[in-house]
Amino acid sequence: MNTNLKVSKITKIYPGCIANKNISLEFNSGKIYALLGENGAGKSTLVKILSGVIMPDEGEIFLNNKPLKLSSPIDAKKNNIGMVFQHFNLFETLSVFENLIIDSNETRDNLREKIKSIMDKYNFSIDLDIPVLNLSAGQKQKVEIIRCLIRNPEVLIMDEPTSVLTEQETSELFSSLKKFSEEGILIIYITHKLKEVMSICDEVAVMRKGELVSVSKIIDEKIETLANKMVGQNLKTIKKTKQSSFSSEQLIKITNLNFKSEDPFETNLSDINFSVNRGECLGIAGISGNGQSELFQVLSGEIISDKNSIEFNKTYIGDLNPQERREYLMAFSPEDRLEQAAIPQMKIFENVALNNFKSSNFFNNGLINEDKIKEHSKKIISDFNVNTDNIDLKSQFLSGGNLQKLIIGRELITSPDLLICFNPTWGLDVGAINYIHETLIKINEQNKSIILISTDTDELLKLSDKISVINKGKLSKTMNADEVTSEKLGILMGGGN
Amino acid sequence: MIQIVKRDQPSRVVFFLTPVLAILLTLIAGGLIFYILGFKPFEALKFFFIVPIADMYGFSELLLKATPLCLIAIGLSFCFKSNNWNIGAEGQLTFGAIVSGGVALLFYNQEGFYILPIVIFAGAIGGMLYASIPAILKTYFNTNEILVSLMLVYVSKLILDYLVVGPWSNPEGFNFPETRQFSDSARLPILIEGLRIHAGIFLALAAVAISWFIFYKTYLGFQMKVSGFSLKTAKYAGYKGKKMIILVFLISGACAGLAGVGEITGPIGQLHREISPDYGFTAIIVAFLGRLHPVGIIFASLVVAITYLGAETAQIFMQIPKYTGQVFQGMILFFLLASDYLLFFKFKFVGSKK
Repeated sequence: MNTNLKVSKITKIYPGCIANKNISLEFNSGKIYALLGENGAGKSTLVKILSGVIMPDEGEIFLNNKPLKLSSPIDAKKNNIGMVFQHFNLFETLSVFENLIIDSNETRDNLREKIKSIMDKYNFSIDLDIPVLNLSAGQKQKVEIIRCLIRNPEVLIMDEPTSVLTEQETSELFSSLKKFSEEGILIIYITHKLKEVMSICDEVAVMRKGELVSVSKIIDEKIETLANKMVGQNLKTIKKTKQSSFSSEQLIKITNLNFKSEDPFETNLSDINFSVNRGECLGIAGISGNGQSELFQVLSGEIISDKNSIEFNKTYIGDLNPQERREYLMAFSPEDRLEQAAIPQMKIFENVALNNFKSSNFFNNGLINEDKIKEHSKKIISDFNVNTDNIDLKSQFLSGGNLQKLIIGRELITSPDLLICFNPTWGLDVGAINYIHETLIKINEQNKSIILISTDTDELLKLSDKISVINKGKLSKTMNADEVTSEKLGILMGGGN
Repeated sequence: MIQIVKRDQPSRVVFFLTPVLAILLTLIAGGLIFYILGFKPFEALKFFFIVPIADMYGFSELLLKATPLCLIAIGLSFCFKSNNWNIGAEGQLTFGAIVSGGVALLFYNQEGFYILPIVIFAGAIGGMLYASIPAILKTYFNTNEILVSLMLVYVSKLILDYLVVGPWSNPEGFNFPETRQFSDSARLPILIEGLRIHAGIFLALAAVAISWFIFYKTYLGFQMKVSGFSLKTAKYAGYKGKKMIILVFLISGACAGLAGVGEITGPIGQLHREISPDYGFTAIIVAFLGRLHPVGIIFASLVVAITYLGAETAQIFMQIPKYTGQVFQGMILFFLLASDYLLFFKFKFVGSKK
């Protein structure tokens, strides 16, 4: 039996963001398709449309050339489209069997037979009568897959299936997926992990910023070509003018830094080592979700680490919180402007007061020193070109670019020795990006240092003196930026050597 | 066709109007309920909301009921503003009353100006101790403060029960479940002869003023505000989260404890089983109806206090169970939460699409 699934001109617009723009794709059974893209590229939106969770604003879906209207997940189930989400939808305290029969009308005995035969066929071994909470992540995923298989699906969609699996479980999953595919189930595999795409998929569709970038056969692709398509760099060679000589004075040194998260959706950091000299910009490249956010938090002090693992200006500061680190002249600009770096519902000057340390005198004896904060805020607004003259304005009324200028300004006005920033230009327009880039270059010229964690390769090549790549929580060795080619970055970002 | 559209930003006007809207809707729904029960809606509502406060005595009773509500709600607003969900003010009130009552009983046959301050202080300490349990469990053992603080309410009520029937019961009290009467020196002074309104109202007003100062003028208030909007930002700014959680719980517990003191050393004058008609729970409604703003809480406590009085009048004149009061409190909260939807969404009237 041949299954053909087609999406035609799918568009989905959310307020302030085009999640899918005119996407047309065609899938045929017998092959495994990869849908590749960074977080926020629009993969999940497309998948939710295919599984009936949301409806597209425009466009149509065809299954075996018949138009398909999916207005709820039940419609998808009825039309034999199965979906395994990244976050499991299982009742932890119910048994495996109870979880499997929940949405079925067949009798318990029939189902038990059917489940047994499915498990024999694909070599799954799970005790059906123990509670789900006793299962490993890989086993839970198998339960989800069995739940789909019971319905004899024609299409099976897997959303980031390996994010919580061990290597062993991943390879088991891959062999199952190949079997499913041989039996004629159409498989769509959503991921941002390039190696997996190369090892299991037959065709790959790359998405970026809501648009379809390319569709191609895996044999025509290499990890680095896919990486480039994903992050969308076009190999510009603009770099900042390198200073003739760096001071060789080391400012920050990270030694054997480890972080183990209790949350399976976070990335563990293992054995991070690097150092940054005064006046230098160290770029940290990588595909998002490889530990950047965890690294930022460890460096900023939101996550406390071993005291001796971070040495800043000859002091060990690994156990200090962000406010205490600021006393040592560090500054931080997190990735999330609206939920972390600033509070949109608060006024501009109140947001300025978030960067608080003793010598700022924003708070004296526990009281707010509003005059001081306001005076400081006015200086930031004029020095950093924030396009407003009203510091009583709520910061939600600033555009993304102006808000970022305010944040960077707030961090820099204290003239810190080191600025750590994470995707500082994400989602900004060209003008704002240029302004931020110029500002960052200026800091280096004043012999101050930067650690720039970014998923934008362009930006890294433009601003960094040295570059290192993070992959699965491990940092590559530091390379001089002028020796780095985009090809090499691509390989490292994809987990190659 | 009516479309529901997300607002670009929560509306400031709607923010202060929704409590009023909620009260109006409660009145309408309440009238409807009375109608279904076979009463004339307007007359019933008049008995409920106007008759009780029509004279000087009624008005003083209103203030008497509003005092603990206001005091507790002010304390709770410290917790709620900073994203800590202390649901157990009733327990903190009870435990504060137990501790201060215990101290008052020590002095039962003594007189002296020093007794009352000690009793009041003991009540605040009792409330703080009791509130520190969920706070410490939350900060050091990651427990859920909603569950812990709520469950501790029942523990405190059982302790009180045990004490008034057992060790603390009045030896000359014919085995009634109550303690001795406190000495006059342990009683809050009555403000107006012949009425029950007592000096506890000044505690509540002081709490309003102090909380306003802390919310809007101090570093603690600023940290609470930031934590309330985004815990991620608070972490990024380097605020000491644990210290703040414990502090707001202590403040909240002290206020609830003081409310307990006000009850037992004010109108009651001894410990017995029912020292509070669930003021601690009702104050949660007051805090939100007052938008967690000190001045808003004053008004909200007056509005909600009426439901206590109205329920009693309705029971006397209309033979409706006094629990109707709780129905009204429930409706206020329900309508408030429902109308909060309007903060974030608005209705838009558009022509039909095809």
